[in-house]
Amino acid sequence: MKKILSLVLSLTMLLCAVPAFADVAADVEAGQSMTHDALVEKALAESGPFVVYGNTSRIETAAEAFGELYGIPYEPNNLKDQEIYEKLRYVNGNDAADMVMIQDGAQLTDAIDEGLVVNFVPASVQDALSESDQQPALVHQYINKLFIYNNLGDDVPAIRNVWELTAPEMKGNVIFKNPENEKVNMNFLVMCTKDEWADRLAEAYLDWKGEEIDLGGYANAGYKWVAEFLDNVTFGKSDTSIAEEVSQETAAGKIGLFVLSKLRSSSVLTDNLTVAEYDAVANGYAVEPFAGFMYPMYTMVNTRATRPYTAMLFIEYLMSQEGFQPWGKNIGAYSSNPSFAVNEGDLTIDVWKDVLVVEDADYILESFDVEDFILQHCQN
Amino acid sequence: MDEARTQRIALNRIKGKTLAWFSKPANVILLVFLLLLAALTLYPLLSLLTETVTVHAGREARAAKQAVGDLTFYHFQRLFATQENEYSLIQFYEPFRNTLLVSLSASMIAILFGGTVAFLVMRTNLKYVKFVSAVFTFPYIMPSWTLALFWENFFKNVNIGLKTSNGIMAAVFGVYMPEWFVYGGFPIALVLGLHYAPYAFILIGTMLRNMDASLEEAAMILRTRRLRIIRCITLPVVRPAIMSTFLLVFASSMSAYSVPVFLGSPVRFYMLSTKMKSLIDSYPGQAYIIASVMILLGIVILLLNQRVTSSRKHFTTVTGKSRQISRIDLGRANYPLAILLVIVLLLVAVTPLLTFAMESVIIKAGDYTPGNMTLDFWIGTNLTERLDQGDSTGILLNPKVWNALGYSLGLAALSAFVAGTCGILVGYGVAKRRGSRLANVVNALSFFPYLMPSLAFGAIYLAMSSRIPWLRGFLLLALVGSVKYMPFSSRSGLNAMLQLSGEIEEAAVITGVPWWKRMLRVVFPIQKSSFLSGYLMPMVSCMRELSLFVLLVPTSNTILTTMLMQYSEKGWAQFGNAINLLIIIVVLLVNFIVNKLTGASIDKGVGG
Amino acid sequence: MPEIFLKNVSKHFGRVVAVDRLDLQILSNAFVTLLGPSGCGKTTILRMIAGLETPTEGRITIGNKVVFDSDHGINLPPNKRDVGFLFQNYALWPHMTVYQNIAFGLENLKWSKNDIRSRIEELLAMLRIDQFENRYPSELSGGQQQRVAIARTLAPGPKVLFMDEPLSNLDAKLRMEMRAELKRLHRDTDSTIVYVTHDQQEAMTLSTMVCIIEKGQLQQYAPPLPMYNNPANLFVADFLGNPAMNFIDGHLTGDGVLSFAGLQARFSAFNAVTLGERDVTVGIRPEYVRIEKDGALEATVYSTLPSGMETTVKLEVNGVSLTSVVFGDVDFQVDRKVRFSFNKATVLFDRESGRTIARGALTLL
Repeated sequence: MKKILSLVLSLTMLLCAVPAFADVAADVEAGQSMTHDALVEKALAESGPFVVYGNTSRIETAAEAFGELYGIPYEPNNLKDQEIYEKLRYVNGNDAADMVMIQDGAQLTDAIDEGLVVNFVPASVQDALSESDQQPALVHQYINKLFIYNNLGDDVPAIRNVWELTAPEMKGNVIFKNPENEKVNMNFLVMCTKDEWADRLAEAYLDWKGEEIDLGGYANAGYKWVAEFLDNVTFGKSDTSIAEEVSQETAAGKIGLFVLSKLRSSSVLTDNLTVAEYDAVANGYAVEPFAGFMYPMYTMVNTRATRPYTAMLFIEYLMSQEGFQPWGKNIGAYSSNPSFAVNEGDLTIDVWKDVLVVEDADYILESFDVEDFILQHCQN
Repeated sequence: MDEARTQRIALNRIKGKTLAWFSKPANVILLVFLLLLAALTLYPLLSLLTETVTVHAGREARAAKQAVGDLTFYHFQRLFATQENEYSLIQFYEPFRNTLLVSLSASMIAILFGGTVAFLVMRTNLKYVKFVSAVFTFPYIMPSWTLALFWENFFKNVNIGLKTSNGIMAAVFGVYMPEWFVYGGFPIALVLGLHYAPYAFILIGTMLRNMDASLEEAAMILRTRRLRIIRCITLPVVRPAIMSTFLLVFASSMSAYSVPVFLGSPVRFYMLSTKMKSLIDSYPGQAYIIASVMILLGIVILLLNQRVTSSRKHFTTVTGKSRQISRIDLGRANYPLAILLVIVLLLVAVTPLLTFAMESVIIKAGDYTPGNMTLDFWIGTNLTERLDQGDSTGILLNPKVWNALGYSLGLAALSAFVAGTCGILVGYGVAKRRGSRLANVVNALSFFPYLMPSLAFGAIYLAMSSRIPWLRGFLLLALVGSVKYMPFSSRSGLNAMLQLSGEIEEAAVITGVPWWKRMLRVVFPIQKSSFLSGYLMPMVSCMRELSLFVLLVPTSNTILTTMLMQYSEKGWAQFGNAINLLIIIVVLLVNFIVNKLTGASIDKGVGG
Repeated sequence: MPEIFLKNVSKHFGRVVAVDRLDLQILSNAFVTLLGPSGCGKTTILRMIAGLETPTEGRITIGNKVVFDSDHGINLPPNKRDVGFLFQNYALWPHMTVYQNIAFGLENLKWSKNDIRSRIEELLAMLRIDQFENRYPSELSGGQQQRVAIARTLAPGPKVLFMDEPLSNLDAKLRMEMRAELKRLHRDTDSTIVYVTHDQQEAMTLSTMVCIIEKGQLQQYAPPLPMYNNPANLFVADFLGNPAMNFIDGHLTGDGVLSFAGLQARFSAFNAVTLGERDVTVGIRPEYVRIEKDGALEATVYSTLPSGMETTVKLEVNGVSLTSVVFGDVDFQVDRKVRFSFNKATVLFDRESGRTIARGALTLL
């Protein structure tokens, strides 16, 4: 009887034991001040598969090159951001990611608070990057979603002012991904209601209409624009399919708000598309008050990493010219390192920061009622 | 002294009774499965319910203004009773109504379409029956969203939806379908209905095949018109099958995710499943409430189902005679009807395959000229340099694809083996102890996983696995696959066991053959094809399952469906289409081989 | 005038010939039994007359109506043939109560509600099942289900009734009881009944005419008692009677001397026939093998089956086994010698064709 009891007890313990995590935070702390060679040495001493989560497909290319460079086999995992956070919360052991590449600053702030991820800034970039790109989380790159329109036909929606998108005749001609399905889109719309952008929207309205904005029941110009914009929007499945659809011969008069880098895709008829801001700059003006939005892509170490030093080494690699190459070779991705040159024909990150809405995690986190407002306008 | 004796006798009696009870394998099986299923289905359910009243970290804790882990009714209050910004209406009530409407309509469509075809195949002299029954299961083998994608690509046009491009119908035939036909509740219900119509075909068809023909003949002799016979005799007799179909299709449609996203997004049509997915990350409490509501809906229908099928109006009419079914002569309507059916089936079951094949060989979307075609996406090399897209090799030369195929097949095979074997054992136990409370409970428990939305099921198991260190990777996926698809096997196992006379096993008991030998040497061989079909159904379902596994796969290259989704997400449509075709071909091949070797087939999997 | 008339009716299932060029005449008010072993085609014949099965060729008339004629492309559906059909498994609709089951056919005939009610009450009373009106079939015993099925069949008052082994699912006692009821029913309803069974006793006791079928072919069509005494061939002789007729191989010489079982006897036919020398089978009914003290022959008792009213005795004579029936509660000791004689009628069959040669008396030589 005693034997059975002890067997059952040990089985239960085996079943329910919570695996002890290596103290990843301490490792990262230590790694912060290590030289490159020391990192390599530590990384190569680690064992098990090197797992990477990311919602950008090109991380696979980067990880492949990294793996070849150091002889470390990798397991990329391309997930949607919602799935990444779900997995960060629950997956541990060898399957757990060592490093994650992640978007949605608001969620990330929560994830840091929750202790799911820890920030690592390689010594190599500490001087090159601005402070805001290093803390609370290391920004690897910025990605922009721009107003891009079909340039065929007579009614080319070459907008100069985002209020044009709220005009009745634009109904059904504006295509955007459902903010419910990708949080960065939601973040952009929330940001529009922040005073800073609301004020600029009010000014833009004056420019457009020639008269002061009548807010009606809206709290500020941002709310009004978001509501009227969403009224005109049709939701597409993904940025890829939106890019494809807007580029069709038959899509004259359509304008989309989607990731600029999708123009690289061979299934997109790039010739039929014009980026609103490019056209504006070429003609000596700018789209008022913004030409789209931009959001950071962060690199973090999973606190359940089994290969924390490999993760740090990989982050160091990603921050290098070479590591940024998979993204940098095309337009639409901008390293947080200002010394990296942008692609020909593209604008620099500094210019974009002026003309695009950039998310502010703190404002987004305190504004869930704005999300409710946006959801309401996604419905009707 | 006497008292001690009585006590001893009483004790002995209890001991004897207990021993006798445990000496019957059926009892032991039922007890084991009671514990196992309670752990594997009730425990997830309970933890799901707990999640609905717990504060989760992150945005949820911030919004609820409560500490993480606290007990709360915030989620309920927020989801059901927030009027501000019409939150409850938008997040719950409207999606709830849409879900009800879509699931009901999908069930109706599946029953009407599958049932009618089953009737035509089983009860009339319809032509091309072989083709019809062979092709009818195709839509089930394809992942349901591929049919949705096909629907959109076929019917879309510049007047509706994104209003950006024309599908085949508009481009080739100049037919511009209205928006309600292409996007929203109607096409979602239709696509799901078509996808699950094979359930109706299989369940109702089996019932029609086994139904005593003299029931209809008796009515015919009493001068009943054909239509009245169908309405008053045939339909009521097959009602249990209709109800079972209803339950299966309703539960499946309710938790479908991709189809509503593809066909609902452009017209802002949301269902509970889409809301659950968008909430599960930021507000898991509310997402789990939605999952619970979906489970509750399933239970309501399950109870309804039991009321209808187990009432005194129903009794099995097993007969030896009258097996020559009088088939209705369709007369002059035969060929038109058969040809119409063949065309419909070609459209919904074969054309998608052809379009996948086509889309996997063209380079630029929408250009179908030979110059734009290439087999590179299947067997090409150096694609990254040449086409600046996707993987560097075609899928058939890509070791990752072969690895994923192997993993998927292994996963499907193991899940099918576990689910199928457990299904037979449950079927055996329930059939032997039929009517006992234990049997009823085990039977209900084994069906329960079907009512759990795949996504929530996956999420709960993911959460569970974080506390169990050895439960991960292949093992975790196989466990989830086995539990989720056991309902198919236990149903077919039970049906097969009920058809088997108890005397057959008893004959072996008398000669002292041990239990496991009786199962292996007597019971299994006799009902081989039924049992094997119970293995095949989970196999097929696993091969094409996505949402159940998406959270649980170690990496996105692990199984074919997540790989396919990944390619679609990246916009590498050609690779995606090629992989999709690969999945379907592999499943058809497995089905074909198993069918040829053993006589089992998917169509026997549900009905037995 | 014949009520039902089958001419040259055949039914093929693929290559299998289920019914082969059958001619049959069923008179008005007859109770005709189609008798034969299972799989002989008798049910197919019944179903063809009722219209549930389509003959491959031939012509069927019911009353003055041609209901099927392959040459003229006539094929009336069963609902136009004005017949009743009682199924072997009753075919009661499980989802309808007893009342609804019986009312269903009457509703088809657009009877008024009141007429339906009174008709059903009459039938329920007649069949003594009035207390089950609101029960579902699953809640009835086999015998009760049987009665409901009869009530449903009789309700519209069909003049022609078809019954397909209606008693085979009942236990022996109930079967006896229902036999009497069916015979009474035939009288009371004044209808023509065609009845399928494989039970020769049922056929003997119930019918006015028996039609024996084997392998789709009509063997003999006659009233039961004449058929019992004058079987057309060995098959009919064997099928009728319980215990079955004794068959002993023998040889007949041209002058009428029969040698069988080591015996020599003279066979004198009742009718004038030319016998001719050939191999024959001698058929003797068990009741004509009489065990008596002064019997001319001696046999050994092999086994006895006393039932009270009669005793079936198996005898052995010169290595040939004979069955005898002795009436009354007598028994014999096994392996004892007894004396017996052949009494009265014997039937001679041609060994090769099985056809009957003659009926006659035996005189031992």
